[in-house]
Amino acid sequence: MRYCSAMKRSALSLACIAAAGAALAAQSPSHASSGLTAVEGIKVGHHTLAERPTGCTVILVDGDAVGGVSQRGGAPGTRETDLLNPLNMVDKVNAVVLSGGSAFGLEAATGTVRWLEEHNIGWPAGPSKVPIVPAAILFDLGVGGNPKIRPTADCGYKAADAATAGPVQEGTVGAGAGATVGKLDGPNKSMKSGLGTASISLPNGLVVAAIVAVNAVGDIIDPANGQVVAGVRNPDGTLADARKILRAGGTMQRPRAGENTTIGLVATNARLGKALATRMALMADDGYARAISPSHTNGDGDTIFSLATGRWDGNADITTIGALAAEAMADAVVRAATQATGAAGIPAARDLKR
Amino acid sequence: MICVAQPFRAARAGVGRPEGLRYTCLFALATLGFAPGAAANDTITLIHGIRVGHHTLAERPTGCTVILVDNGAVAGIAQRGAAPGTRETDLLQSTNAAERVNGIVLSGGSAFGLDAANGAARWLDERRAGIATPDARVPIVPAAVLIDLWVGGKPRVRPNADCGYRAAAHASRRPVVEGSVGAGAGATVGKLLGRDHAMKGGIGSASITLPNGLQVAAIVAVNALGDVVDPHSGAIVAGARADAGTFADARRLLRSGASTVLSALPAENTTIAVVATNARLTKTSVTRIAQMADAGFARAIVPVHTIADGDTVFALATGTWRGTADVTAIGAAAADQVAAAIVRAVRQATSAGGVVAARDLPQ
Repeated sequence: MRYCSAMKRSALSLACIAAAGAALAAQSPSHASSGLTAVEGIKVGHHTLAERPTGCTVILVDGDAVGGVSQRGGAPGTRETDLLNPLNMVDKVNAVVLSGGSAFGLEAATGTVRWLEEHNIGWPAGPSKVPIVPAAILFDLGVGGNPKIRPTADCGYKAADAATAGPVQEGTVGAGAGATVGKLDGPNKSMKSGLGTASISLPNGLVVAAIVAVNAVGDIIDPANGQVVAGVRNPDGTLADARKILRAGGTMQRPRAGENTTIGLVATNARLGKALATRMALMADDGYARAISPSHTNGDGDTIFSLATGRWDGNADITTIGALAAEAMADAVVRAATQATGAAGIPAARDLKR
Repeated sequence: MICVAQPFRAARAGVGRPEGLRYTCLFALATLGFAPGAAANDTITLIHGIRVGHHTLAERPTGCTVILVDNGAVAGIAQRGAAPGTRETDLLQSTNAAERVNGIVLSGGSAFGLDAANGAARWLDERRAGIATPDARVPIVPAAVLIDLWVGGKPRVRPNADCGYRAAAHASRRPVVEGSVGAGAGATVGKLLGRDHAMKGGIGSASITLPNGLQVAAIVAVNALGDVVDPHSGAIVAGARADAGTFADARRLLRSGASTVLSALPAENTTIAVVATNARLTKTSVTRIAQMADAGFARAIVPVHTIADGDTVFALATGTWRGTADVTAIGAAAADQVAAAIVRAVRQATSAGGVVAARDLPQ
């Protein structure tokens, strides 16, 4: 498989085995999913650890892109997000890393930086090129055993090396390998989610796409009909509906800070300045609000990065781009839940009794 | 209604609660149209200490709405739309000193409407309500405006200090009047295809009381570029109309790349809200409540937070309820009530200025 051939350059065949295993487990149809790589110049690579369901996902920019961020959850774990502030100078991003492993997983970005330096990619700074790699992490240390196992620099290096412009593998893979949702009543009633991606292409050539690793306190809702897709379960295994629990004032466990976090990225081929790229990320956040309930809690470190490659020179209003980013993000969140496979004894949506 | 305000000092000295006012109100039944208590209050005035008053101008559909808090409330803000018009929002930053606000003003009239807050401040000053300083009590009145200047002609008619004063004077604990009144009088929604395809917005309010006594409520003046969607079903309640008079569906328009007015869009929008709870919260926590409440905008308005919307949510915590509730539960309820209030705003709206309301659409 392409995923593995890309990995041959890396030292460990373990990575290849892990990737193949995840692919089998996910039973992902090999259809050309129109995900994040629908944006020309964007490559995506996963690395999933074999020892425990966790991993990282690297979004590589061929050339560079203007970046932005929206950070609205109460318990974030991030790197290089100050640099993305429109008031600050650097306005190009080479890669973005999404990783499991809580704050330990920030190390994955170090591996991606190394990979980029080896390929002479980065922000020109005197004699060197400095790779600009923002990152965000999610907390999955409680899933599948040994919490000492977490993505390291090696993960970020391998995921970068595996990155391709082909269809993005979804489900229990990469940064979504250990992701769970529906934790309003504690981890035992939760469900497995994962990583999802979606894109929207307009007739005029504008492309807007999203990728997300969904690890929320809340339930996943399909905004098209208001139905719960995955979330907190009743003792009989059926969906309880977090909205009903909250409205009834029912007993719920207090979401523990740092045990959740949904991290994502939206990308477009439009040409945007840093401030508008930031507005795009901010509007994409509406996709979280629509597809996750509750969202942006104190126990979630919800973060969304944005990238504008500028390869399309048509005219599109930021409202169109931002609104489509929110739509694509909501689609990607729902796909993260529907494409996930059960892991570590936690069932996924596809495992629920109909 | 006649209210008599009496200066009031906290019973225990040094407890950190500012002095304020107690109001004795005599309800004039004839102006109410119903007896107090005849209908259960499911609006923001359900929360003890919160009073709401509207003033609607006669010359053009516009006006202002004043939310007063007896004894003040800890306040926070989420300001996420790109074209805001606000006052006293720096003070609400959790790193800044002021803890409590005396009231919030929502107004039509674009940036001109910020003047309404001066009238509310004057009304509070006359009643000696405000933060104590060595020389005077200073009323703390954050405000946000929405733009409605094009509705009903006469764009020079806009809410001024007089509007804010009158709305404050009218403020009561009665269930909030909803629809095309106060700050919602000139509000419109569904402007993705331009003004001619818009529908009437308005002001709405909703509340929830949990069995343990926790209350969370919202009031929203809905003047969005986007469509209003009922999050329970995904169905459009009010929005851009196609030429046939049916809903054009902003989501479908945007996904199809159909030509819209977006490229030449002036900032003719902005949805402004206040959420309130009777819980006791810190300024930092109440800021999180405002941020979570903002998810209600995302769920009930599509698209929202655009470059042409100045979307702003204020949050108030009165602290009269001594139970314990997690910020997540309160914030989630706040988002819920904001979404419900948005849907109510357009359902209760009446046609004005030639802009049709949901209730006037052919069934």
